[in-house]
Amino acid sequence: MRLLVAKYRHVFNVGLQNSIVYRWNFALRAVFSLVHLAFVFILWGAAFRGEDTIGGFSLDQTLTYFVTLLVLQFFIGAFNEDYQISEEIRNGLINQFLLKPINYFAYRFTLFLSARLISGLLALVPVVLCLPLLQEHLTFPDEAWRLYLGIPAAFMAALIQFSIAYVFGLLTFWFLEIQSFVILSLAIETVLGGQIFPLDLLPATIFRISQFLPYYYQMYFPAAIFTGRLDQATAMEGLAIQAIWVVLLLAFGQFLWRRGLRRHTAVGG
Amino acid sequence: MLHYFRLWLASARYSVIRSMMFRGDFIMWSLVELFWMAVNIAAIAVIYEHTDAVAGWSKYEMILLVGTTMLIQRMLMGFFWSNLFELGRNIRTGNFDFFLAQPGNLLFIVSTRKLDLDGLINVFVALAVVLYAVKQLGIEPSFLQVATYASFVFCGLAISYAMLLLFASISFWAIGSQGLEGTYFTFMEFARLPREAFRGVANVIFVWVLPAVVLSNAPARALIDGFDPVYALWLGGATVAWLGLSVTVFRRGLRRYSSASS
Repeated sequence: MRLLVAKYRHVFNVGLQNSIVYRWNFALRAVFSLVHLAFVFILWGAAFRGEDTIGGFSLDQTLTYFVTLLVLQFFIGAFNEDYQISEEIRNGLINQFLLKPINYFAYRFTLFLSARLISGLLALVPVVLCLPLLQEHLTFPDEAWRLYLGIPAAFMAALIQFSIAYVFGLLTFWFLEIQSFVILSLAIETVLGGQIFPLDLLPATIFRISQFLPYYYQMYFPAAIFTGRLDQATAMEGLAIQAIWVVLLLAFGQFLWRRGLRRHTAVGG
Repeated sequence: MLHYFRLWLASARYSVIRSMMFRGDFIMWSLVELFWMAVNIAAIAVIYEHTDAVAGWSKYEMILLVGTTMLIQRMLMGFFWSNLFELGRNIRTGNFDFFLAQPGNLLFIVSTRKLDLDGLINVFVALAVVLYAVKQLGIEPSFLQVATYASFVFCGLAISYAMLLLFASISFWAIGSQGLEGTYFTFMEFARLPREAFRGVANVIFVWVLPAVVLSNAPARALIDGFDPVYALWLGGATVAWLGLSVTVFRRGLRRYSSASS
């Protein structure tokens, strides 16, 4: 057990160093996302002119939701894990994992965690710098349960994000190019994950349906808990459905990995 | 002139044949773009479920605005995106030598070598969105309005091309500047917003300094209110200025280019 921890701790450290090399990429992305935040503020600011609340929430509550989403995205969002996995399969780099006592999923997930730690912290820099401007709009509820339920929800959201990226990466066993799948799924994710508008603004039936899809749990759900967009009972129900999705996606990833390896031919040495 | 048109036709023919060779890809990418457009429309539909106007624009005026932005962007994707995206990459790798060795206007060859059929197919979808919005608004545009709209959209395309060329040309100086082309899309997000929504600093940056807002608002207003000389001068001036700037930067960069040895 200790050996196991030591092994993946080493992977984690390597991942940290790797991510630090790409710190400028992450920082640039964080700055771009601030430009996007400006877009969000202008759009919703205009939509709220003449309305006190939209969907039962004030302008500040809505803006807080989007700021939370931005920070969460850098801490739990999958960025290019799907492409990296795809690349490793295409180039035959996964062959080494077939020979060594290391689990490819665990290895990749550890790298994902270390990268998110770095990108999350880097994303906080521009947000903190803009805090004097943002502060007057930020309004968080102060119930303690939001923290207790929100953190596990955020962790499971990270697992869902990563598992989906992992599954797309593994599609490389069957398809030469996965980019179009990824971007198509990104479009669905962007809407049903709540990045364009808070999902509770959807018509009631569609909102209810979205609660049974994995996209709801990969971003909107933890953000909604933290920013007071749902009550405790709904959050508990959500955690249960989220856990089911985590298990399903993990199992599906494992299934694809087994099936994929059967098709995989390692060449050269 | 005719010579260049023939060159362009040859490139177009080549691109069509290529797309037909990778039919699966073509269908998939067309779907991807279609989906992204649907996402933008869905966003408007949801916001207008809860409010009647955004910065004084009604729902269908807003769809007209977003449709116009899509129209410009799809044309940019169809005609220029791949070419200019590869320009940056070729400068970094040294493959740019290949273009330098070709006879004819360099900028023309660099910009028109490939067409993306999936982008072009979606131009029709964007056009359908615009027509739908016009119909819902009950506008019966005059010939002058349609001509103004078309020429404004053309200016918008030229400005977009200029911005993209400018970002790609940065590669001449900063070899490691990968992905800068994406900056265009970051700023183009603001084209989906009504000009009246901008206030304070945002108004200065996105409406006056960067042409992001005027390039979509001007054509949309031309269909809604008719010809406006202020917009015509503004957009025309911005087009000339941005094209001038980007071509100058490209030429300057070219002088710096020293190929890459292997």
